[in-house]
Amino acid sequence: MSPLEIVGLVALGLFAGTLAATLGVGGGIIFVPVLVSVFDFAQLDAQGTSLAIIVPTAIVGMVTHAKAGRIDWPVVAVVATGGVFAAFAGAMSAQRMDEELLRRIFAFVLVILAVRMGLRTYRLWRESQESAPVDPG
Amino acid sequence: MSFSWPKAAIVGIVAGFLSGLLGIGGGVIVVPGLVLLVGLNQHKAAATSVATIVFTASAALLAFATDGAVDWSTALIVFAGAATGAWAGAHYMHKIPEYALAGVFTLVLATSSIRMFL
Repeated sequence: MSPLEIVGLVALGLFAGTLAATLGVGGGIIFVPVLVSVFDFAQLDAQGTSLAIIVPTAIVGMVTHAKAGRIDWPVVAVVATGGVFAAFAGAMSAQRMDEELLRRIFAFVLVILAVRMGLRTYRLWRESQESAPVDPG
Repeated sequence: MSFSWPKAAIVGIVAGFLSGLLGIGGGVIVVPGLVLLVGLNQHKAAATSVATIVFTASAALLAFATDGAVDWSTALIVFAGAATGAWAGAHYMHKIPEYALAGVFTLVLATSSIRMFL
């Protein structure tokens, strides 16, 4: 690895790690495409390597969030338990399903979530404007 | 319990199933699920999602690592940056107003949906 590549990889981590901990995502949405298109990884290797970055990064985020008292642990227990079992079920049924159709359904779900979160953003922004102290000028 | 655990379970199951099936992370489903369905605010939803990811991504990593599809030295170098970023993000998050956090998350959701369509 050249020094330039190392600097690039650290910068990639810095950017994605900040976004991941702040937004509550893993960061795979950034790691996988960058490893594939910039660092010539095969898709499967990029996914595996992305997970190997995500796990310790999420642990750092979790510990820092926990110190701030921001984690709802009972919710973590329920979501993680359901999530781990469902992930195995999903991985096992991957061959038996029409992936193209599933991708489209998933994309559609994301569009609906984006619209609802967008509306919520607007409402939160309006509320923040109303509660802001009025400039007496 | 003070929260609706069936709703939280639905969020986990949908996110887990899709991530196992399509190889995507669950965060894009878990965060809006916790906000819109379970009723957490944006800050708590993000922090709770990060803790969930520790467990779900570990299980997925185990499956990948046995196939040998992990470049550990690259992962270590990226992690050096990512650990710093994750600490800074979680440490200074309280300074970000909720509408800004929700706004950036909406952009990430929109980007993910476009990527899925392509």
